[in-house]
Amino acid sequence: MTNTQTPPARTERPKAPPAPQAPRLSARDRGTRLLATLFLAPTIVGIVVFTVVPIVGSVVLSLFHWNVIDPPRFAGGSNYGAVFGDETVLVSFRNTLVFMVFAVALQLLVALALALTLNGRMPVWLRSVFRSAFFFPLVLSAASISVVMKYLFNQDFGVVNWLLGFVGIAPVPWLTSENAAMTTVVLVYVWQQFGFSFLLFVGGLNNIPKEIHEAAALDGATGLRKHLTVTLPLLSPTLLVASVVGIINALQVFEQPYVLTNGGPGDSTRTVVMVIYETAFEQLRFGEASAVGVLLFVLIMAVTALQFRLSRRFVHYQ
Amino acid sequence: MTDSHLTRRRLLRYGAYGAGAAALGGTAASWERLTGADIPGRDDGSLVVATLGPAYGPEAIRTLREGFRELHPDIKLQINAVQAVDWSDFFAKILTQVAAGTAPDLVYVATEGVQLFAQRLGVALDTWVKRDAAELKEYFADVHPSLVESMMYEGSLYQLPVEFNAADMYLNHQVLRRAGAPYPPADWTRDDFTTLLRDMKQASGSRFTPYFWTNRLWGGVVPWLFANDTNLLAESKAPGGEWLWDSFYPAGQRADRGGGFRWTTPQATHDRVEEVYDYLASLVQDGLCTRPEGGNGQNLIGVFSTGRVGVTPAGGFWAGGLHLAGMERDGFDVQYFPRWRTQRMQYGAAGYALLRTSKRQEEAWEFIKYAARKETLARLFTTNQTTPARRSMLTADRYQETGPAHWPVFYDTLDRFPDTGPIPAPPQVAEVEQLLLKHTGTALASSRSVRPALRRLQGDLEKAMERDA
Repeated sequence: MTNTQTPPARTERPKAPPAPQAPRLSARDRGTRLLATLFLAPTIVGIVVFTVVPIVGSVVLSLFHWNVIDPPRFAGGSNYGAVFGDETVLVSFRNTLVFMVFAVALQLLVALALALTLNGRMPVWLRSVFRSAFFFPLVLSAASISVVMKYLFNQDFGVVNWLLGFVGIAPVPWLTSENAAMTTVVLVYVWQQFGFSFLLFVGGLNNIPKEIHEAAALDGATGLRKHLTVTLPLLSPTLLVASVVGIINALQVFEQPYVLTNGGPGDSTRTVVMVIYETAFEQLRFGEASAVGVLLFVLIMAVTALQFRLSRRFVHYQ
Repeated sequence: MTDSHLTRRRLLRYGAYGAGAAALGGTAASWERLTGADIPGRDDGSLVVATLGPAYGPEAIRTLREGFRELHPDIKLQINAVQAVDWSDFFAKILTQVAAGTAPDLVYVATEGVQLFAQRLGVALDTWVKRDAAELKEYFADVHPSLVESMMYEGSLYQLPVEFNAADMYLNHQVLRRAGAPYPPADWTRDDFTTLLRDMKQASGSRFTPYFWTNRLWGGVVPWLFANDTNLLAESKAPGGEWLWDSFYPAGQRADRGGGFRWTTPQATHDRVEEVYDYLASLVQDGLCTRPEGGNGQNLIGVFSTGRVGVTPAGGFWAGGLHLAGMERDGFDVQYFPRWRTQRMQYGAAGYALLRTSKRQEEAWEFIKYAARKETLARLFTTNQTTPARRSMLTADRYQETGPAHWPVFYDTLDRFPDTGPIPAPPQVAEVEQLLLKHTGTALASSRSVRPALRRLQGDLEKAMERDA
């Protein structure tokens, strides 16, 4: 078969319009731009020095064997191979994910329930007292709180078991049983952290216009139905922020399991950041520790990206 | 009429100028602090000594510094008390200083770090010890050879021990009386020990724990392993060391001494190790002792002094600790660790290690000798916060106020049982300790957990020992 079609006549390409010339900035605008740059400079320098450089440094270090004392030796990808072959590291990733799921879910639930309760009819002074009380643990050092909790939850001499004894409950191995230790760590963590989500929810609830609730009430929505159909959808942007921050924090949990259980019994509460600390500063394998750090970074980025992607479906903006 | 108010833009601009100027001024004013240049002793030719902060308070540091100045007015001395939770934390901080290029000249190092420092960072003291042998004769005559041997690595000496603590058994008199039990004899056995725990439990009710122990290398499972004539890692001795033994110790004391300990091959699945874990698991199951993770030194003094614990392993340091906690000297006593297959016991010692990076090695050696002098130790260890390495310092006077009545036990642990040895601490000690803690927790969950946990411990130890420290 032959092509009988004639080729289209060659036409002249239209001339591209002249590139728009950047408007000449006045001296005043140049001054403004300089001022803006000056204002931003400390932040940019800070981000580069304290965020970008350490991240790049960790990635580079993860390709070397380094024990602080001897010069670094290039390791290629062997640190990553060692990490994937190390059962403790894999268990720590599993523990961290389990911890994240339960800690964040519980934290959001408790914070939301308390915020909704406090948002009801309550004297202003009492509301202030509760807000302060719920926020207070957040400003305390996680390490010192964990030391106190370690005493409280001690199986043999702790106050918690002593109190349970009054109602006939046998001593619970809060921190020394593989079944109970993670639960205890989650409880302590949630107790300390939920104040942040709580404050966010209180702010979010205050931002919901009363008219919408009134309109819903006119349509016959009451109680739980009102919360499910009106309050929660309108609170969804706040929920997204609280869950993103909560998940990032939970994936980096260190102080509570380190002080309360030191990762035990066995590896049952060992988290990824604990493994990074132990591998680097106790076993002097900085390359492997950096490789674990890089993997944690990737995990956090992936989970956060997934959250934002999913948020398109359930986050509603007014 | 003109508007005399500042515009917002102008206000912001002046604010930015002011903030910038303040930032520059502040940075210039605190430049020395920011760069650490104002730290006393840095780059000013001082001999820098790093000590474990919690063990050396300001008073101890002043004592050390002033005493050294009297002896060596020409040497500038700076003592840095590094705050750390434990020895591994302390070593991590020292290594960070090494990495930053600000290494001290001398580091106070316990048994846990002797081989790590010797292998990687330390300078052997052999040349100086031989040179100053006449001066050191009195020191070695006063210090048990086992302590010295624990500071040797592959035939060379790296530290002069100044203190040690053996894992002896502390007993609460109030609890003994309640149980109608006498102070146990020196040759008591593991079975006597178990019977005592049962009697204590029976007499004291459910809110009482007879035996409190901690999950760590020192005072944890390891003393029981020693008593059962085994160890976590097979123990042998490096050749060499005759240069020291022949010069300073009589034939009777230098027999079987070598060039330092070697801990190489893991033996966690050995029958005797399993026996020890089975025994401890049975104590846990019977409610006769704390779960290993439950115990730590922080709450121990409180529960012991109030009679909620009957027995615990501790060293001479506890005499000072209990005294400071308000316990009377006759409220407690101390006895050797009970016999099983042997009555070999466990200790940890400490001294000053000289770093290779030091440019003041002669001055550092003078400090090492000064720190091991009897006058120095006497001025330093006034509250019995530890056991001095010098035998002659253990006197009735020293324990008159703090107790306990049987204080000679502290040094006799070495003299009466000369095979008493240091905790197993190869250069990979940090990982070894971590694995021990982890798998001990799992092993003691139930009697059925022992064997699988020890198998995993063995596998992990093998991997750890194959790695470079």
